[in-house]
Amino acid sequence: MKDNNNKLTFWERYLTNEIGIEFKACLYFFAVLFFYCVYRMIGGVFDASILHMAEMIFTCYFIGYIQLLVFGNFDEADKLGVLECVGMAVCTLAYTAVSWFGGWFEENITATLLFAAYIVLAYFCVFFIYKSKRRIDDKKLNEELRLFQTEHKK
Amino acid sequence: MKIRVERITDGEESIDIRYKEPNPTIERVLGILNNEGNRLWGRADEESVCIDLSDILYLESVDDKVFAYTRERILRIEGSLNSFMTETADETFFRCSKSMVINVNRVISLKSLSSNRIDAVMEGGEHIIISRRYASEFRKLLKGDR
Repeated sequence: MKDNNNKLTFWERYLTNEIGIEFKACLYFFAVLFFYCVYRMIGGVFDASILHMAEMIFTCYFIGYIQLLVFGNFDEADKLGVLECVGMAVCTLAYTAVSWFGGWFEENITATLLFAAYIVLAYFCVFFIYKSKRRIDDKKLNEELRLFQTEHKK
Repeated sequence: MKIRVERITDGEESIDIRYKEPNPTIERVLGILNNEGNRLWGRADEESVCIDLSDILYLESVDDKVFAYTRERILRIEGSLNSFMTETADETFFRCSKSMVINVNRVISLKSLSSNRIDAVMEGGEHIIISRRYASEFRKLLKGDR
């Protein structure tokens, strides 16, 4: 029966999650790196530390797991509830703490606070991007539904 | 139940059905003979009822019992969701989760949800979630790619 063929294997489920987390890690790494590079350039430094970048990508990957497994993938959520806001706050704190202890912004309080605000902004942007994507998808789905119903009218 | 099949070489083909009380098997056989492929027999309030397949909004399996929901009533039907899908072979019925089948013609609107799930709003106002496992198949069905 078709139903049995639809069953996802453990490997397929793992791969789906892993691809999602790696995509998330790349997305936030790019955002963090952008802020880091701007900070460095403003300070007159035109190179980036490989150690810092390694810390960033591992942090993004680890926080990606927390986002997905603990906070129900809040940046892709249908609406922002308590769990999503708590998740956003915890993950922002985690990024800020790692940036402080990793010395990404040379323990500069202003830069670190700006970085925290930037992460929150990034989360909101990603949330609204996914929301817009789903809204466009709604339109497409409903158009296809009407077409299907017209073709299969009895 | 005793089944007697006889092959004849001439004369008119005929079928005799002998029963004491109507039961779902007899009703199903009668349904087939009366060319009622688009109808479904079920039980509602201890009585046998026959409904049009197109009247069904959705079917749900609860504790190995299958219920068909129309706008007016709920019928308990024989068999499983799998057997329903095989017997009806109707493209407008879609298995949207492990325990539910929806009539796509009775869907009012669709809403895309996170994790690639779809919320289907039925004519009765019920919200039925098409799980991630079935959502891609559903999209293919709508596009006619199945």
